[in-house]
Amino acid sequence: MKGTIALGLVFLAYPFVLSNAFYLDIGVALLLAAISASAWNIVGGYAGQVSVGHCMFFGVGAYLPLLVYQHWQLPPIVGVPVGIAISLVLAILVGMPTFRLTGHYFSMATIAVAELIRLVVSTWDFAGAAIGLQGPAVGRGWYDLTFRGELPYYFIFLAVLAILLFVTWQVQRSRFGYYLRAIKAGERAARSLGVPVRRTKLYALMLSAAFTSVAGSLYAIKTGFIDPDSGFGILVSVQMVIIAALGGAGTLYGPLVGAIILIPLQTATNTWFGGGGTGLTYILYGGIIVVLARFEPGGLHEMWHRIAPRFMRGRDAA
Amino acid sequence: MLLLQVIVGGLLLGAIYALFSSGLTLIWGMMNFINFAHGEFVMLGMYVALLVVVWLGGGPATFGFAAAVALFVLGVIVYASLIRHVTRGPMLAQILSTFGLALLLRYTAFWIFSANIVSLPQTSLGGTLNILGILVPVAQLVAGVTAAVLTVAMHLFLTGTTIGSKLLAVAEDRNAAMLMGIRPDRMQALAWGLSAASAGIAGALMAISYPWSPSVGETFGLMAFVVVTFGGFGSVPGAMYAGLIIGLIQALSAFYFGPIYKDIVVYGLFVALLWFRPQGLLGKA
Amino acid sequence: MLLSAQNVSKEFGNLRAVAGADLSIDEGEIIGLIGPNGAGKSTFFNCLAGDTLPTTGKIMFDGVDVTTAPPETHARLGIGRTFQVPATFEDMTILDNVMVGAFLRHPHRADARDHALKVLDLVGLKDRQEMRARSLGTPGRKRLEIARVLATGPRLMLLDEALAGLTPAELQQAIALVRKIHETGVTLVIVEHIMEVIMTLARRVIVFNQGHVIAQGEPQQVVKDEAVIEAYLGRGHRNWRKRG
Repeated sequence: MKGTIALGLVFLAYPFVLSNAFYLDIGVALLLAAISASAWNIVGGYAGQVSVGHCMFFGVGAYLPLLVYQHWQLPPIVGVPVGIAISLVLAILVGMPTFRLTGHYFSMATIAVAELIRLVVSTWDFAGAAIGLQGPAVGRGWYDLTFRGELPYYFIFLAVLAILLFVTWQVQRSRFGYYLRAIKAGERAARSLGVPVRRTKLYALMLSAAFTSVAGSLYAIKTGFIDPDSGFGILVSVQMVIIAALGGAGTLYGPLVGAIILIPLQTATNTWFGGGGTGLTYILYGGIIVVLARFEPGGLHEMWHRIAPRFMRGRDAA
Repeated sequence: MLLLQVIVGGLLLGAIYALFSSGLTLIWGMMNFINFAHGEFVMLGMYVALLVVVWLGGGPATFGFAAAVALFVLGVIVYASLIRHVTRGPMLAQILSTFGLALLLRYTAFWIFSANIVSLPQTSLGGTLNILGILVPVAQLVAGVTAAVLTVAMHLFLTGTTIGSKLLAVAEDRNAAMLMGIRPDRMQALAWGLSAASAGIAGALMAISYPWSPSVGETFGLMAFVVVTFGGFGSVPGAMYAGLIIGLIQALSAFYFGPIYKDIVVYGLFVALLWFRPQGLLGKA
Repeated sequence: MLLSAQNVSKEFGNLRAVAGADLSIDEGEIIGLIGPNGAGKSTFFNCLAGDTLPTTGKIMFDGVDVTTAPPETHARLGIGRTFQVPATFEDMTILDNVMVGAFLRHPHRADARDHALKVLDLVGLKDRQEMRARSLGTPGRKRLEIARVLATGPRLMLLDEALAGLTPAELQQAIALVRKIHETGVTLVIVEHIMEVIMTLARRVIVFNQGHVIAQGEPQQVVKDEAVIEAYLGRGHRNWRKRG
């Protein structure tokens, strides 16, 4: 409890302590990454259903606000609930058939559907085809959420992250949360204890999809632009997964920790290596994921819990 | 006539799909493990072909063989250093292992070869044949027929030879196989080598007629998922038929709807499969 | 009659694991299910648990047809089972393991927790509630599985070799625990190889061999049954007895 309050204060104070636009930029990116990864975490971390195509929800959430603005001049925020609704439908489309089969089918399906949507969107003029969509250049009022500086976005994102983490915490303590963990720990045993496995997985996916959609919407509203790659590209999915896994999939703060480490790192490598930086960043990501899978699938959270007792023992001995 | 040409072209490409998908389904059936980097193995096969042509000036037979050997070795190395250690662990580790590998291979290829689209210089397989009024490029014909032959050979190897039976025994019942003196670890390493080699040769064969860039791995990987699902869990014969059918469907989609839609139709078919017949053609319900 | 199985068979391709097995259990009984390895008792057991779909036959539980029902439904109706190889949730604490079971009838966390603690107390694992399940040895895991299933409030418990691999002292404790569970009103079906368990606990024993039920009755009678002895020792035992 004390830790959470301290953490909250740090995040509230951050933009005033490091008020440089550069640091604020990183902070906003970090928060957004933490939101996406924490959303993925619900189904991928807690329930153990590894989606590698989560960008489908992010992309839907990103496109809808700019679509409603582009075609009907509505404030982008109107597109947010529509994005959530469509994402929920997608979740059902992907989850219902695959959750009665083994986990691999689900993972394969997530990649396939994400790619399917990316292809469709890139040829669909209504959605801007390959060029994409833009948001309002100048806000017509506060409701367009087009702020000059990053500061308002920072606090909106922080609020959303706080809500998401709160929801995740509540889930963790509830029957639903216990059932998710049981499914991850042993589906067959969970079934024998009365856990409605298929339904539970589906609810987890839907909850995850909804929040991922919101993350996408936040991204589009802040950036004011979206195209098939920034919405539905595989790298969007990769970032969610690696951040959650690095910090500790299936833990409350794991994704946030992962974001705190990876986003500044990503900014650094992109800056150092210039144009070629993006390529190298993803080689690095690939390498990190493989190393995590091979040596520490529980991420830093698990590693900490393994190593920390040894430090304690050392102190006592001295 | 044009329609027949499209059909023939689709079947020939489908034979190549069948070849690399057989490798994927072999591993799936044997270890209940999906290799998310399989498409990248195909992509690497294509680049091996390119390097052999550019450095050694070799022909299709040479670079085909080289791709097979290089990828076989890579497959065994990947198994020994990575796969073997994650199969006993959590699902997250299993899926992330090859998913991360795919990223690693793909972006390393981007870094080394850049995103430029490349193709092989004209090989000895130039020209077009006229078979009963259908125009078939020699390269495509040779590639397709070779792929078909190799796929059948793989099936015969698995079902007809001693070592093939040992592989299948481990797939069937690992513990029973151990009691019979078969070493599952060795067999699984061999399977990974074969699987990667099948992808490598398929890539080399495809390189003969089609241009590519490092991003093709992603598409081939997805294609392989669709084919193995359609063909049925672990079924090499299933992958054979499914590959041909998918190749055909893809070609017809491109013909009727336009080239942009060919992949959309195939992925859409995949979703439909999952809903209505996940066991595929030859799988059990 | 609480549970009845009529003409249950299970075929795997050409292999007939279970052939026309019949069984009826009244509430409050303790039934022992024995037989040599590969006799089909585990497959039959899995059919009763809803884990395996029988090829033919009908299984009724308290008037409800559960032949094709999935394990989740079995649990909700009041059938619980343990696994031959313990399938505890390794990375969860002992308490959390049992809470998963408790949540079936106690949707709220506080109630589930209370109930889980009571069950842990009964089973003797309460003092280790915060430890990870993986820190337990096999006997501990088996006890945890029993606790976890018990928390679902079953009317019928299917125990799959739950007392195997225990030291003599542990075995006595386990037998006492099973008796305690029975006293709370749970009907039990116990698959076992350990004769002591069957003889002391089971009121009725059913013997499987090669997919068939070859004998049924009180333990003392079944043990003397010719067919049963033959199943375990093989035909040749008669020659040995003559020589003896």
